[in-house]
Amino acid sequence: MPPRTGGRGPGGRGAGKAGAKGAKGKKVFYRRRKVCKFCADKIDYVDYKDVKLLAGFIPERSKILPRRISGTCARHQRLLQQGIKRARHLALIPFATD
Amino acid sequence: MRTYELVFVVDPRVTDEEVVELTGEYKQMLTGGGLTINREESWGRRKLAYPISKLTEGKYVVLYLSSENGTRTLADVEHRMNQNDKVLRYLSVRTDQDLKRAGKPLIPEPSAETSAPPTAEAVAAPAAREGDRPGREE
Repeated sequence: MPPRTGGRGPGGRGAGKAGAKGAKGKKVFYRRRKVCKFCADKIDYVDYKDVKLLAGFIPERSKILPRRISGTCARHQRLLQQGIKRARHLALIPFATD
Repeated sequence: MRTYELVFVVDPRVTDEEVVELTGEYKQMLTGGGLTINREESWGRRKLAYPISKLTEGKYVVLYLSSENGTRTLADVEHRMNQNDKVLRYLSVRTDQDLKRAGKPLIPEPSAETSAPPTAEAVAAPAAREGDRPGREE
């Protein structure tokens, strides 16, 4: 797939500013197409007890990984968010780390 | 039919026997209120992600419940847990809608323990159940 220019669609933002200031004029940017993990794996129920699954979406600081980075679709991000919050309440996942 | 999951975390200083006793008490309340217990899991001692009242570990128990029509009992059980200092955390979730949407079976496979008579289970189960759930470590 060719790199998107000025893409503002899902996952289009934040993936690096395109090389407008490219020194030699032509700079090709490849953006890996982000795919929602849950859609790909056909996971439609996010279990808050499944720490292994949730752990993939909580980086070092223990914040919830934003959609623009993970590429998760809106529906699944919502489910994921709910799952993470439940897991946090039960101390399966930290709220924050420092 | 409505299905629920009820998870609670008990103070690790409470002995396994007492945890089973406590669970039994809740189960009795739940079944008395017309709920069916489909499955029971005990994860045993598990490290908490953050300290709760200065404790770093807790004992987890999960109950999978179902009822034909709505229930008030669950709220009563929650109230009881709230009053008990030994219960660090609890969470009850209604699961049938989400499971149905995901096309998953509403009722989980019953665990071996639930089919056993509760009295025998009280003594034998805690140790045997340790390895019940894969992926609970760390």
